[in-house]
Amino acid sequence: MRRAFAAALALVLSVGAHKGWDWDLPGGVAPPPVPAANAMTAARVELGRRLFYDADLSADGTMACAACHEQRRAFADGNATRPGVHGDPGRRNVPGLANVAWFPRLTYADPHVTTLEAQVLVPLIGERPVEMGLKGLEAQLPRRLGADPCYRRMFRKAFPERDGAIDTASVSAALAAFERTMISFRSRHDEGPAAMTPDELRGLAAFRQAGCASCHSGPLLTDLAYHRLSGVEDRDPGLIENTGRAEDAGRFRTPSLRNVAVTGPWWHDGSAKTLAQAIARHPAAPPTETIASLTAYLGTLTDARFLNDPRLSRPDEACGKRL
Amino acid sequence: MLDHRCLTLTLTLTLPLALTAALAVLGASPAAAQMEHPAPACTAPAALPAELASWRDPAPLTAGRDRKGAAKAMLTPGQAALLTLSRTPEVAYPLRPEKPGGTVSFGGLASFTVKEAGTWRVALGSGAWVDVVKDGKAATSVAHGHGPDCTGVRKMVDYQLSPGTYTLQLAANAGDTLAVLVTRLP
Repeated sequence: MRRAFAAALALVLSVGAHKGWDWDLPGGVAPPPVPAANAMTAARVELGRRLFYDADLSADGTMACAACHEQRRAFADGNATRPGVHGDPGRRNVPGLANVAWFPRLTYADPHVTTLEAQVLVPLIGERPVEMGLKGLEAQLPRRLGADPCYRRMFRKAFPERDGAIDTASVSAALAAFERTMISFRSRHDEGPAAMTPDELRGLAAFRQAGCASCHSGPLLTDLAYHRLSGVEDRDPGLIENTGRAEDAGRFRTPSLRNVAVTGPWWHDGSAKTLAQAIARHPAAPPTETIASLTAYLGTLTDARFLNDPRLSRPDEACGKRL
Repeated sequence: MLDHRCLTLTLTLTLPLALTAALAVLGASPAAAQMEHPAPACTAPAALPAELASWRDPAPLTAGRDRKGAAKAMLTPGQAALLTLSRTPEVAYPLRPEKPGGTVSFGGLASFTVKEAGTWRVALGSGAWVDVVKDGKAATSVAHGHGPDCTGVRKMVDYQLSPGTYTLQLAANAGDTLAVLVTRLP
């Protein structure tokens, strides 16, 4: 099964993959597509990593990307939703970032956001709701970041073709490059059934029998399609907001199940406090007596190496100096 | 790490109901995700629980910028303080905060003495990052959450502390002042 998934992924996603970057992928997984205008380089990834943990990317300096995307939670968040820097209530649960490099659709319900470079702008300058609150304050980026000689050096190294310009374009490109290194294909699930306990195997059988894999499919454990699993809410009508099509009301993108055990609370609005609740909400929910085993199986999708990878953690130094 | 359900049960047995509701939703661990609660619509200030009684009568205090300054900025347990903070680049934290603020944010250091072991609460008027540090290590929080609605307490973090003097690290605050109250829970 694993080989078939890997082969399918390789076939579908190899087009456009950047060849000059060491992706450190397990056998059979092809590199993700990379926009030609934002080639992967060590300098770009290093800059993106530093920016990801820098709260100067928010209006008042209180919120970094990492404020909501915590590595130990597979870059999700422990809250249902999070208010933005000005206190605007959050609308949707913070999604994990594992394998986002392979996602052709980003965000829960906006089919127009198809690259990480574009997605970065949603929290950075988005207004529905305001998250990091930089809209109208973009000019402060070069002032804030450019005041640090090390940042100036890092931008020059990462974007020599732009003379190291410090602006939203280079910031979003660097962040996207870093996010493409958030790779998680080394869970016990990936080692196959031999690495699972009898209870987890019962959960795997229930997963297959209940048809979960029809949407949580492939190596990414998502079909990346939009589905409606519950009634339409005025508070968040889903895909229809961006398409205007009545049939899209209440539809949200299938989340990946990679590391799902550590990304709770669950559901697009974070309203499922336990995995069992989230499972039970599906229209064709598996029998109640299988949910404990299913939950145990989902635990095998946790990639401990990903959660602890020092290459993804907050950097302690830059330009040879401690931060 | 304390299981969320265990935390809820424990708090239910030991804390007044309002605070239980405020704290029970979130788990233990670094004082991370404490900003879930949207600001409520308040028509009047709500009554304060006994342990936060001094919240609306804070004593002004200038937060330190380094270890020396932290030692001088001594908080009195049970007495709220309105700390004047410094710009983040001017603050030398003994321990790098897990979520440091940007250069345009504010931060500072203070100290407090624990005479009696137990559960100690740090209440803040904002969602600033807080660390309780002793001997170069940050204490692990045992619960965190928002304060009671309409009291002005935005965030509360609880720690199990043994006797000694602790440094309070405050980081990533939007403004240059911050109301703080450190108190032992009954």
